[in-house]
Amino acid sequence: MRALLVVAGHELRSRLRDGTAPLIALVAPILLATLFGLALGGDDDPPLKATIGVVDLDGGEFPASVQREALNTDELKGVLTFRQYPDEAAARSAVDGGETGAALVFPAGFSEGVGAGRGGKVSVLESPQSPLAGVVARSMVDRISALVEARTLAVRASLEAGVPADRVQLFVEENGAAGPALSLVGDPVAGGRVDLAVHYGAGMAVMFAFFVVGTTARSLLVERQNSTLDRMRAAPVPLWTALVGKSAVGFGLALFSMCATWLSSVLVFGASWGDPLGVFPLLLAHVFAATAIVMLVASRAKTDAQADGYTLGVAFVFAFLGGSIVPVYNLPEWLRGISLITPNGWVSAGLSELAGTGAGPSAVLVPIAVVTGIGVVAGTVALLGFRKGRFA
Amino acid sequence: MTPALVCERLVKRYGDKTVVDRVGFHIDEGEAYGLLGPNGAGKTTTISMLVGLLRPDEGSVRVGGIDVDEDPVAAKRLIGYVPQEIALYPELTARENLRYFGRLYGLPRRELTSRIGEVLDLVGLTGRGDDKVDTYSGGMKRRTNIAVALLHRPRLLILDEPTVGVDPQSRVAILDRVEALVGEGMSLLYTSHYMEEVERVCTRVGIIDQGRVVADGTKRELVAELGGTDRVELTLDGDVTAASEKLRAVEGVSEAVVTGSSSIRLLVAGGRHLLPALLAAVGDAGAVTGVEVVEPDLEAAFLHLTGSTLRD
Ligand SMILES: Nc1ncnc2c1ncn2[C@@H]1O[C@H](COP(=O)(O)OP(=O)(O)O)[C@@H](O)[C@H]1O
Ligand SMILES: [Mg+2]
Repeated sequence: MRALLVVAGHELRSRLRDGTAPLIALVAPILLATLFGLALGGDDDPPLKATIGVVDLDGGEFPASVQREALNTDELKGVLTFRQYPDEAAARSAVDGGETGAALVFPAGFSEGVGAGRGGKVSVLESPQSPLAGVVARSMVDRISALVEARTLAVRASLEAGVPADRVQLFVEENGAAGPALSLVGDPVAGGRVDLAVHYGAGMAVMFAFFVVGTTARSLLVERQNSTLDRMRAAPVPLWTALVGKSAVGFGLALFSMCATWLSSVLVFGASWGDPLGVFPLLLAHVFAATAIVMLVASRAKTDAQADGYTLGVAFVFAFLGGSIVPVYNLPEWLRGISLITPNGWVSAGLSELAGTGAGPSAVLVPIAVVTGIGVVAGTVALLGFRKGRFA
Repeated sequence: MTPALVCERLVKRYGDKTVVDRVGFHIDEGEAYGLLGPNGAGKTTTISMLVGLLRPDEGSVRVGGIDVDEDPVAAKRLIGYVPQEIALYPELTARENLRYFGRLYGLPRRELTSRIGEVLDLVGLTGRGDDKVDTYSGGMKRRTNIAVALLHRPRLLILDEPTVGVDPQSRVAILDRVEALVGEGMSLLYTSHYMEEVERVCTRVGIIDQGRVVADGTKRELVAELGGTDRVELTLDGDVTAASEKLRAVEGVSEAVVTGSSSIRLLVAGGRHLLPALLAAVGDAGAVTGVEVVEPDLEAAFLHLTGSTLRD
């Protein structure tokens, strides 16, 4: 234990001495998070402005009420504009041309189908250029689908119960099964639209955690090349002392870095990342996973330059796939699933939950568990490699 | 008394290459033992297994009676290990380096401060202890490298080629200190490919080549095996390869190897008497410019045992 402290103290002094630690742990992530936040987010602006096209091939009551309800929700008031298009092709070219961010297509006979309990399906046209409109549109469709489903079930149940078909719609509506027609209040785009200041703040924090730990991995490789690692391993302490002592410093600095980026995001943008009791354990789990992953890839490196390269590669690939740079919903469908093999993806998802819905710590238990699990697996493999003489 | 070190049948393989092949020797308490062998013989790999850095594929190591595999921490406490490379932080001063490693060896702060003074004194760096290692000459770095291993007063000092890249003056200084330490009762394992160093510092020598200890004994014992064979160093202008072929055919010549572009080393029974025959044998392969007959020594023993020279 004392030897661990000796190694850690020495590592910490070296990191502070060489001056890159403050740069990588504090200046760079905070600066980038702030710049991204200023450029793309911010709390004073409406979080988004979206124009959504509507193709109403139905002409019935349903599409009209959806639009009315949406425009009346607190969240979307003043944010959302609907624009009508005669057919899907017109809407498609409007979306592609950037005139509108996304479009909803109500098929002919939609209202009638729903009324008769046959259900119905609204489709969405999206463009990668305006992800936010796409998210809003998709979330509206989700709500519509839920409503349609509820109403379809109610109609079916009523029919089964013997209500005559020509009276069933009225019956269902009178009995409230249709519910308040459409409600988007609260979280129109939960899971997709977290304030961008939060999104980029978290993304940078998550990505730089890898870089911060990377400086420690690098120093381990430098010490191997210098033979000072041999000297440490020849000292009367367990062989893992050097690895663990140094990793602990990487861990501590990365945690410090993430918390500092978090704090700066709160101070600069007044953005909330959600319940701190949920955020902190999530960040803690991420730092653990990042440390284990970086140590694992570094244990496969032969020189410090190689270790740098590996760390950089892993950090960027994970950041990209995990939504730390580009929001996950901007990625093609098949990549979205892959985001969940990265700790970044789980942290993003967890933070969206915390910040986007105001959920409590229990909402992120799964992300925390998964990220910790990723860390345990990577750490175990790294230690096994170490036993076999890696870093020797 | 328990020997300072016993290793038995050590084996280390990398892939299908056996780098250390059943190496075994022992060092008595207070004894200075040398491992003499050319580059790549397996000296460093052997030492890595002795000090617990590398796990042997086979064999065992005991330091002061403690099995390195069973209780590595206790065994390592008895060893002062000086790596072949300069294992120091160049951006720190010698004193800072010593303090860090001393702490790692568990020396209490107060004792450490006085020990640092003592070892700096011992290696003759008292005045430079607060300068960065970066600014040191090769010899000073080597001396600091050794000083670190002495902090905790080890019973067994292991030096892996401690004079590589050092000016002659520093080399003498290092050898003097090492001899003094042995004189004070420290046990020593000294590896080198310099015959003179091993001959000077060590009382017993193991000759290692291609992963094997091919002979082991005092210098006298090793040389006696030569049985009155002298080492002859010839220099000549001409075709050394052709000349060496011709020399090997002379009756009484047991080895003839090319050691340079104009030099040949021979093992010759009754060297002095055979000189005329040797000169005649060279014949038109070249013009002999120098002949030196050397008393049987470790270099001759090495050539006798391995058929090759220590330095290629
Ligand atoms: N990690 C390794 N992997 C493969 N071969 C190695 C390794 N370490 C040493 N060797 C080989 O083992 C042999 C002995 O090396 P070494 O013990 O360093 O010799 P010496 O110290 O006597 O010069 C050399 O041929 C070297 O190339
Ligand atoms: Mg060596």
